Amino acid sequence: MNPRVVVTGVGVISSIGAGADDFERGLYSGMTGVGPSQLFGEGAITAEVRDFAPQNWLGPKGLRVLDRSARLACVSSHMALCGAGLSQADAAEGDPGLGLICGTMFGSLHSITSFDWSGLTEGPNLVNPMEFPNTVINSPAGHAAIKHKLRGVNSTICAGLASGLYALHYAAEFLRFGRAKALLAGGVEELCEESFLGFRKMGATSPSGSIKPFAADRDGSVLGDGSALLMLETEDDARARGLTPVLEVGGFGSAHDAHSTSAFDVRAGGATSAIRQALEASKIGPVDVACIISGASGSRAGDLMEARALRSVFGDLLDDIPVCAPKAAFGEALGASGALCALAGALALRRQTAPPTAGFIGSEFGLRLSAEAQPFQGKYVLIDAFGCDGNNAALVLNLRT
Amino acid sequence: MKRVAITGLGLITPIGAGRELFWERLLAGASGIATVSSFDSSVFPVHLGAEVKEFDPTQFLRRGKPEEMGRGSQLAIAAARMSIEDSGIDLGSYDPGRAGVSMGTTSGEPRLVERYNDVRKAEGLEAIPGDFLPQYPCNVIPSHIAVEFGLHGPCMMIPTACAAGNYAIGYGYDLIRTGRADLMLAGGADAFSRITYQGFSRLGAIAPERCQPFDKNRKGMVPGEGAAVLILEPLDAARARGAKIYAEVLGYGVSCDSHHMTAAHPKGDGAIRAMSMALEGSKKTIHDVDYISAHGTGTPTNDRVETIAVRTLFGERAAKVPMSSIKSMLGHTMGAASAIEAVACSLALDTGVIPATINYETQDPECDLDYVPNQARTTHPQVILNNAYAFGGNNASLCLARYEA
Repeated sequence: MNPRVVVTGVGVISSIGAGADDFERGLYSGMTGVGPSQLFGEGAITAEVRDFAPQNWLGPKGLRVLDRSARLACVSSHMALCGAGLSQADAAEGDPGLGLICGTMFGSLHSITSFDWSGLTEGPNLVNPMEFPNTVINSPAGHAAIKHKLRGVNSTICAGLASGLYALHYAAEFLRFGRAKALLAGGVEELCEESFLGFRKMGATSPSGSIKPFAADRDGSVLGDGSALLMLETEDDARARGLTPVLEVGGFGSAHDAHSTSAFDVRAGGATSAIRQALEASKIGPVDVACIISGASGSRAGDLMEARALRSVFGDLLDDIPVCAPKAAFGEALGASGALCALAGALALRRQTAPPTAGFIGSEFGLRLSAEAQPFQGKYVLIDAFGCDGNNAALVLNLRT
Repeated sequence: MKRVAITGLGLITPIGAGRELFWERLLAGASGIATVSSFDSSVFPVHLGAEVKEFDPTQFLRRGKPEEMGRGSQLAIAAARMSIEDSGIDLGSYDPGRAGVSMGTTSGEPRLVERYNDVRKAEGLEAIPGDFLPQYPCNVIPSHIAVEFGLHGPCMMIPTACAAGNYAIGYGYDLIRTGRADLMLAGGADAFSRITYQGFSRLGAIAPERCQPFDKNRKGMVPGEGAAVLILEPLDAARARGAKIYAEVLGYGVSCDSHHMTAAHPKGDGAIRAMSMALEGSKKTIHDVDYISAHGTGTPTNDRVETIAVRTLFGERAAKVPMSSIKSMLGHTMGAASAIEAVACSLALDTGVIPATINYETQDPECDLDYVPNQARTTHPQVILNNAYAFGGNNASLCLARYEA
């Protein structure tokens, strides 16, 4: 019998809230984090973490060497460790069974670009060697491990927009195999001038500065950033610590379209397959899914592909399943968004209410989205994440009863 | 749980491409280290690099176009194609939804960042081309392999720096043994980059003249590039199709030093735990291990700490277990390194010969193990540990074994 894996802590920082309670309030208030950027100045619209003050959680020491992605990862891991009662702050050395599985897409793009730029403009022998470690893609996970004494597995997972869901599954498997005792799993992404400029040049960001998942007049994404990490443990370990876990990590599915690395395959074969696999791995059928947390972010092709995949798996059942597309609230946070969506799914299950989709007016595809919270009764929530690199993932979370 | 076989080996390295040429040159002690040619190294105090020379991606790409992807992806596709051909598998006979890709890297596609900065410097930010970003995130490397070969299964990049290849092979092994996939292409890829070079140069870590792992006079590592992809499949399926089985994957272990971003834990704490976990998962003990493929970068600290770690874990047996570093010949190919080393381990298990540490001249009292100096040796190894360590304090050890039909 495979050990069950449960959620025992949450760390989150996003444009709609920092900390589990604040994030939950923001998400259920129907607010959006989309607005004027502090990072890029006049006229830029983002869903970035604003007024980010990592010292509020981490104290003032040792922050100087951390870039934005490392700070975000250190803050969310701090919250999740404390929330789960597994902080190693007072331990002489950390528990070797405690680790971190961190999804990301661009990792340290700003640090690597700056490091190269310094070499180009000031000469390669004058760059600060202390900045070199920040250029590797696993630098946020490495910094978080040092800061929080995480001595177990320390993986970074890059699977495009599906990174966060892949990371949660990877962590759950490590726990089932008995290779770790407790793992922080999720994602982190920083918004930086290079990614902001790059997405604009690609034409992937919304010219109107709004994010309207599934809407007929959707015109692209608004970039966000942040980090969400869930503390995962086996149910037996959690109970042994005196906890009564409520949320379980269920089945996972993944499929690649093998079509293009830069365009959605609107035939939706991979997306459909990923959802079917996740249900099958959870030993449930479409009728059991009580709520869907969608990864839709206002992409013309991406939202179309997702709507087709959902329709082909759920058929007419889809008319009655509440759907929430929370990126309307926290933006397209790239490698962090799968984990932020998973957290939205966890909250939905616990409250038995789908969060509002911020600013929702109408869907082109007849999905049951709403600008209001939607109550439901059920045990299973499906979270999906599909990327234009062709990678697709879906994850089920369920109530432990 | 299913047993997992390695049935195909494809690689492109500074000493040559393809299994046969690589192995011939590796056993001959060939060196792929030379003066850097892909950028002007005169601005640096050191000049050695381990580059892949004369690489023509059009030889390997059928579906993808070289101008539409970075060099990391090109190298990865080349290794994947050679691996598929080496394995003799017919991709058409697999359920494409159960065939996947698991890759590792340190920097992904750093040359796109270099191009971004070159354009920015010459013409300003507004001149940055629109295709800069989509080909940068390192998940494009496995995605390009999936597209090139029509693989619809799990597809993931594990960018855990210089231990990434072992992480990626480990993940592929997990997917096969749990029955989630029938075929996995697993390995690592990294492209030579001025950014990486600049970083190691500023850390004072690059060897000025030679790469001499474990030698008393060792002065550093040599940055390199390359890619390796291994074909993993269930052992019973491999036997059923009459496949050549190079080796069996028994297990792997991973850990974090949680000590320093670039410097290893002085007592080898994480390295010891990774090796122990690999052995435990493989149901083997130190007494079974008869060769260690060292991380062995050639820096004074790495080689000393790795020796301490092996001494601590293996005790008296440490001196009896040969441990060599092929980085003496290949340089440090970053995220590809442990995947290339896993290929070398597979061939050592298959042929009975272990590769040497070249440029070894003077024994270091702090490095007193058998490093297989200068000459490949026939030892008929049965169980091998492949070590890899990385920035972020990451450690990964892979355990491979000889398969007797």
